[in-house]
Amino acid sequence: MKLATTKKEQTKIKERSKKADEKQKNILEMLKSHGVKIYDDLDNGQFPKFSIPSRSVSNIVYDKKLRQYILGSNAAVRSSRNSAQLRSFTQLMWLAFFANRLTQERKSSTLRDIYYSSQAFAIEFEDQSESDNIIVDLEAVTSKPREDFHIFPEERSSIFGDLTIEYTIPGYEGKKMNLSNHPDGYSIGPSLTTAELVDTSAEIVIAIEKGGLFTRFVEEQVDKKFKSIIINTGGQAPRSTRTLLKRLHEEMNLPVIVLTDGDVYGEHIAMVIKSGSANAAHLRDLTVPDAKWVGVWATDIEKYKLPTIPMTESDIKRCYDLQKDPRYQDGVWKKELDVFLRLKRKAELEAFSKYGLTNITDKYLPQKLELAKSL
Amino acid sequence: MSSIKEQFNQISPSEFFYSNRDLAGFSNPTRSLYTAVREFVENALDACDQKGILPDVHLIIKAVDPDKPDPKPYILTVKDNGPGIDAEHIPLAFGTVLYGSKFGLKQARGMFGLGATMAILYGQITTNKPVTVKSSVDGVTQDVFELLLDIQKNKPVIVKHTTKEVSKKGLSVSICLEGDYSKAGTKIRDYVYETSLITPYASITFDDPKGQKFSHPRFVKEIPPPPTIIRPHPHGIDVERIRRMIVESQFEIPTIDDAMIEKVRKDLGLSVKNLSFTAIMDKAKKKWKTLSRQVRVVISLMSFLKMDFEKLNKIRIEDIDMINKKLHYWDFGDSQSKSVDMDPESQYYKQLTNTVQGEPLTTFLTKRFQRIGPTTAVKFAEYAGFKPEKRMGTLSNQELVNLSDALQKFEDFMAPDSTCLAPLGADPLEKGIKKFFNPDFSAVVQRPASAYSGFPFIVEMGIAYGGDIKSGGPHVYRYANRIPLLYDEGSDVVLKVVNETDWGRYKIKGEPPFIIVSHICSTRIPYKTAGKENVADRPEIERELRLALQLLSRKLAAYMSKRGQADMAKKRANLYAKYIPMIAEFCTELAAKKKEPNYKKILEENAIESKQTVKEENEIGNN
Repeated sequence: MKLATTKKEQTKIKERSKKADEKQKNILEMLKSHGVKIYDDLDNGQFPKFSIPSRSVSNIVYDKKLRQYILGSNAAVRSSRNSAQLRSFTQLMWLAFFANRLTQERKSSTLRDIYYSSQAFAIEFEDQSESDNIIVDLEAVTSKPREDFHIFPEERSSIFGDLTIEYTIPGYEGKKMNLSNHPDGYSIGPSLTTAELVDTSAEIVIAIEKGGLFTRFVEEQVDKKFKSIIINTGGQAPRSTRTLLKRLHEEMNLPVIVLTDGDVYGEHIAMVIKSGSANAAHLRDLTVPDAKWVGVWATDIEKYKLPTIPMTESDIKRCYDLQKDPRYQDGVWKKELDVFLRLKRKAELEAFSKYGLTNITDKYLPQKLELAKSL
Repeated sequence: MSSIKEQFNQISPSEFFYSNRDLAGFSNPTRSLYTAVREFVENALDACDQKGILPDVHLIIKAVDPDKPDPKPYILTVKDNGPGIDAEHIPLAFGTVLYGSKFGLKQARGMFGLGATMAILYGQITTNKPVTVKSSVDGVTQDVFELLLDIQKNKPVIVKHTTKEVSKKGLSVSICLEGDYSKAGTKIRDYVYETSLITPYASITFDDPKGQKFSHPRFVKEIPPPPTIIRPHPHGIDVERIRRMIVESQFEIPTIDDAMIEKVRKDLGLSVKNLSFTAIMDKAKKKWKTLSRQVRVVISLMSFLKMDFEKLNKIRIEDIDMINKKLHYWDFGDSQSKSVDMDPESQYYKQLTNTVQGEPLTTFLTKRFQRIGPTTAVKFAEYAGFKPEKRMGTLSNQELVNLSDALQKFEDFMAPDSTCLAPLGADPLEKGIKKFFNPDFSAVVQRPASAYSGFPFIVEMGIAYGGDIKSGGPHVYRYANRIPLLYDEGSDVVLKVVNETDWGRYKIKGEPPFIIVSHICSTRIPYKTAGKENVADRPEIERELRLALQLLSRKLAAYMSKRGQADMAKKRANLYAKYIPMIAEFCTELAAKKKEPNYKKILEENAIESKQTVKEENEIGNN
């Protein structure tokens, strides 16, 4: 891949950076409007307050149209008058203030950074889970994911394949990178999540649950053989990875398929990529409703005669829990869940190694890719 | 086969207590020293109370040989400024078991002065030393006795008796006994301390064997009104008690001897004259109202015998058979038994009936019990199935039992008269609590008199919070008839009521600094043991304790709630002062303003609010 040099390309760059600027401007405007409201309240001798959508279980509902969990209409008022809420009000206020600085300076920080940064301002968080909780409050109030405020989790997943990106973070603006240049893959962090997606020759995105298989896929050149971008979700996909998956799907028009272990947790990893989690019901734009789970299915265990291990008590309980989830009421989701419950056994992706190390890429993957077209 | 011959001997009260001294609290040197202190101090206070004297009591304990290890002999001396005891009574009072002046029905710390004698007895058997009693009833001369107890005969042995001149009235008792002060010391000091709380009108000092002096001066100048001696309440009666009362109410048929005849002659004004039978009867009729009961009985007998004094001298009354209306007598002249009929319509017949058969039931009840008037007496007779005019002397054993049962069960008697009780009073109690604990909050209550099994009682209770009180409460100070109860608290009814209280309901949490003072006054405290340390859980007493505690707890809860509100308001104001400026700082940058908003208004308003709550709290605390 060549660096952008033509005039046409340069206009594109400008447009892209304009788009990023626009987004940043919107975030800052939004934060400022909240700040002004609270400033005016204080100046008028009023205790400032604002409303936060309730994140209690009773207020989390499944939206069939959006195909994800969303928050209902219940909201709670958080008031600085209420002495029980004063502390968390101040913490949230500080977080908005700090997010404002981060966004203005285009600096990123981790959840843990936030916990420690607070101490410079005499904001006491008992522990990181308290500060994490306040971050979710900010997301809920603004309906924006924390990544928009330059706050990222520690967890990293990785990506490999023919995809050219262009950085927007300070110091790298305009710099391009092709993600097939390094065989260990590229970790999906703030710079990649905020980068512009420029070009790709791939026709599909394969999200895979495990790092070991990701390496195997790179070695076996699955990216070239099947014209694909390979993403290692590292278990449950982090939000930044889900955001990236969504962008690859929407901006580059790439279908997304998901390969997981053959157990109930694997099935749910695929479901979260497709329709989100109840934990993030206050956020949109984290889901790929058209993503397809292609395996390992419960029916594959019998079909491919895979070596299995018995389900644990908690595996079985999880099956029964998911049976109550509205998203598991039909199609492949319901069918496979039922078979898992019948078998009471599970199989990992590595189980294919019984038939040779490359069996999964040579035999299983092509069959599933073919099948995905009809799903 | 050999047979063991059992021997039945009557034992004296002294012997009985000697072999059962555990019952009275003399089980070991520690407990015995403590019990002896109690008995003498309580006797001293009782003696002063009865005469309305503000007590000055001095307690001195000295080791005979300070270098010996415990247990060892101690000399225990208690001096008071009471009325003293007449010299003639001293040997019996201190040298006999079950001799005392406190047998009447009224509230006192001790019942019969038994404990003091027990202490003397214990001292004698452990050290073989006499008790020294010094008494002055006039404040001029003092009698000094040294006494030993003859245990088998239950009689005093006077070792020495001297007199000397003094300037103060009062009694001093000194005994030598085996004790263990190193173990009993804490309890004795607690006892003196707690006694002074419930006896604020007494001045008590204690010189302990280690040379320490504890002084508790009086801080209330008025002595509470003394109790009065009263008749028993019907609910508190039993068969034996009724039997004794009947005996008291009956009169014996007087023996008609020369002396009696002389008395009758004199009363009729016939000392020298000899009148005929009819003339005597006429004279008696005229003088009837002035005649004594004995004389009336003799006249009545003469009326049926139709005899003058001369004839009367020659007979002896054998029986007065009221049922067959016959009078039997022995005629010395004829040497045979004779009888005459009695006319039931005659007024003399009535006189004899009263004497022989006792009073009618209704008279007996109204005269000898409290809370029974003529109307109640008639109502009761109907309830119990007796004729109101039924003579007490004619009751069979079964009827006595029935009467006793009915008296206990009949519900229309008024509650027992409580004038025989001597509660401390709410005011002195609260003064004591305030002086002893300097609390942030205190409240006292005196419940109206109530009764269990015919024994009146009054519950007084106080509660205090904060101040000098240690945390880890409630600490309970138990009193009965102004005696602190220190041992065996586990099984006490007061502790039971306190422990069953859900303090959380009264906004009291954790290990609060609070105390409860409970005082039960009664003519008879239902102690569980003879050692007088814990009160049995009679439902009536438990109920009164519960009501008293609930009332006080509600007051405490109101105080706690105000205190809590004030604390909250203060805390809230502090929170605002801490966080509002931070919010102001953050929103200023967020809103891209240069100057911070004017948030002072909010802070000032809240500071005023919290001050108001604090003020209210103080007002409650002062009330």
